[in-house]
Amino acid sequence: MMRALAIGGFLTAVLLFAAVEWAARREGSRIPSLADVCAFVMRYEVGPVPVGRIGLFGFWWWLGWHFLAR
Amino acid sequence: MDHPPELTAEAPRVWDRPVVSVPVLICLSLVGGQLPSFSTAANLYILGTGGGLIWVGLSNRVPRRPAPRRLSSAALWWLLPVTVFGVFEGATFVLSVGDEFPTFSRLADPLLEDHLARSAAWFAWLAAFWGLVRR
Repeated sequence: MMRALAIGGFLTAVLLFAAVEWAARREGSRIPSLADVCAFVMRYEVGPVPVGRIGLFGFWWWLGWHFLAR
Repeated sequence: MDHPPELTAEAPRVWDRPVVSVPVLICLSLVGGQLPSFSTAANLYILGTGGGLIWVGLSNRVPRRPAPRRLSSAALWWLLPVTVFGVFEGATFVLSVGDEFPTFSRLADPLLEDHLARSAAWFAWLAAFWGLVRR
């Protein structure tokens, strides 16, 4: 029962990601695509340090390591 | 012969075209998909590929697509899937009862044991990483 709840919850989240991305790609949509959100986050800098870029690259590398190397 | 700047456009570099980058990513993914979890080879491989992409992404070697200067309030819609995922991941992680109420990675592990699925996951990870590098 709890296992089905977890699977259902994660499936819902994945479907919501797909639905929001789909809505963002519709013509005239005010919702930015996930790529635009990431690009906006990566613009964040503290002085000369591209903190947003380093943070997002680090997160994505960690995600790959977590799922594909361990 | 010099052309006025408005008539010239920077041609994409050869390795920056999909016809080159996609086969390279496929080859890297097929190799990655053969490496088992917890192996030294898998750790070194992901360190190499990810480290290389981070190095390229932090240097100015790749032309970047323009980023939006600001986001509209409609961007808050992204909080919906993020929150749902975060609630379930947080709950399953904190309760930590294994397969009874599994985390996302525990659910993904059996799927990623298959070499083809693992290669596909590698491709998705690398392609998204390449997309980030170019933003």
